[in-house]
Amino acid sequence: MLSIRVTKSLSDFTLDVAVDCPYPVTAVFGPSGAGKTTLLNLVAGLLRPDRGEIRIDGECLFSTEEKIDLPPERRRIGYVFQDDLLFPHLTVMHNLRYGYGLLSPGQRRFNVAQVVDLLELQPLLDRRPGRLSGGERQRVALGRAILTSPRLLLMDEPLASLDQGLKDRIIPYLRHIRSDLRIPMLYVSHSVAEILGLTGQVIVLKRGHVVASGDFFNVAHLPDVLPLVEAHGFENVLPVDLLSNDADRGVSRVRHRGQELLAPYCARPPGRRIFIGIRANDIILCRNRPEGLSIRNALKGRIMEIANVGGKHLVYVDVGKRLAVEVTPEAVEALALKAGDFILCLIKTHSIRIGPDVE
Amino acid sequence: MLNSQEWGVLALSVRVGICCVLLSLPPAVLLGWLLARIEFRGKLLLDGICHLPLVLPPVVTGYLLLTVFSRSGLLGGFVEGVLGLRLAFDWKGAVLASAVVGFPLMLRAVRLAIEGVDPRLERAARTLGAGPLRAFGTVTLRLASPGLLVGSLLAFARSLGEFGATIAFVSNIPGETQTLPLAIFAFLSQPGGEAGVARLAAISVILSLIALVASEAVARRMRRR
Repeated sequence: MLSIRVTKSLSDFTLDVAVDCPYPVTAVFGPSGAGKTTLLNLVAGLLRPDRGEIRIDGECLFSTEEKIDLPPERRRIGYVFQDDLLFPHLTVMHNLRYGYGLLSPGQRRFNVAQVVDLLELQPLLDRRPGRLSGGERQRVALGRAILTSPRLLLMDEPLASLDQGLKDRIIPYLRHIRSDLRIPMLYVSHSVAEILGLTGQVIVLKRGHVVASGDFFNVAHLPDVLPLVEAHGFENVLPVDLLSNDADRGVSRVRHRGQELLAPYCARPPGRRIFIGIRANDIILCRNRPEGLSIRNALKGRIMEIANVGGKHLVYVDVGKRLAVEVTPEAVEALALKAGDFILCLIKTHSIRIGPDVE
Repeated sequence: MLNSQEWGVLALSVRVGICCVLLSLPPAVLLGWLLARIEFRGKLLLDGICHLPLVLPPVVTGYLLLTVFSRSGLLGGFVEGVLGLRLAFDWKGAVLASAVVGFPLMLRAVRLAIEGVDPRLERAARTLGAGPLRAFGTVTLRLASPGLLVGSLLAFARSLGEFGATIAFVSNIPGETQTLPLAIFAFLSQPGGEAGVARLAAISVILSLIALVASEAVARRMRRR
């Protein structure tokens, strides 16, 4: 377990964080400039806290009281940077072996062949980083960090510079690292989808302070968090009743305020109350119930407001809870959408993400 | 083509040039790193002092070296007594003179090369388990090495042409401190020395041209990368 209690004054605010991360993967979520990268740098030992204490599995990495400040090379913490920071003068193989070669054989938990296999790096080994694509570079950076056998992996928006298609291809690798290699992670991201692909546990940082921590679906509605969630992924979070499961068809039937939805299969007993997540750009607005369409789910609601948030056009629909739907300005005009109208929100079953139980 | 005295002059010049590079490279790396990466008070002043030999008349540099390193100079007694090195009127003094004069060229190239390396790469190396010295050596220095080569070639070329500081500091002693320019100067004032002057001048032009072309070639490759 990682426990952090530090303060560090920065140019425009003071980072003051006290959190424990008992989960295999904890996501650090927050707007730009909230101090997320600073937090990782403090844990890695690349920045020195003004005061405080950082412990991992009981071992002290930094403590003003005990006058301990381990240099980064002795912390055994892997770091995957936003810009991969591969060594341009070394081949992929030598990049991978850089930290591995500095370990004594007894410290090595993974071998090169295993990691090359897991991240499918075989065809790249003789190349220089300059001749790799963004996704390939990030995979090599990941492998390089894993091969130092870290007891914690720090990830600073490792997918931020990649397009959506590549992100979707790398996330399964990250899941492997989490589940098969069992390396705990502190994962900084803007993207709700990315976070939920890996973990439900988040720390929400705002101007250097932890404004919420815990299960994502439990904190997503908090007033400090909701605007962030909406600005960076527009995830809609709805509490629903689980009605029935159909494992054969891979679907579950859920109900939200009297309206039923078909969601991906959820292996929990019917009767539970669970959270589901829906991205704002996965919802289609429609005036009349359509025919001959494969989408089965249609939530009926009344338009509350049409707003422009950070360059995105959002229609807020009251379906018993406020649902944010991302649309184009053309759609607003073509459908003549205005506040007060009744409207249908169409949602594909597999756009629905199953969250944790409602406590 | 060359007579034995002229070969001696050429050999001495090359030896002085190589030793000059070896002498100035370590301090150039240290100061280049300091100027490129560390913010401190008096940085501008240090930068100015390091570049002084570039604009100072070489004769003045030679005179200053003489006042510091001659036997009666400020450090001369120490250098000779403790280190057992005699510099004044010795070829090692010629090395020091050309090292000092060529240092700004070397420092400039090294500093630019270090500035061109992303400092975050070194931090990445630290998180991978490398100590500060190893990280500097395997990442920054390795990536800056073409710049180090350019600096070395420039300092070598500058050393081949060094005249003023050398003649003021170590005088013009055949076989000991008489490098190419000094030999040319001596032959010029000798009756019948014109042929020697022409040969040595040709050698000078060729050697300097090779060093400059080589450094430009390395610099180009560096820019392309």
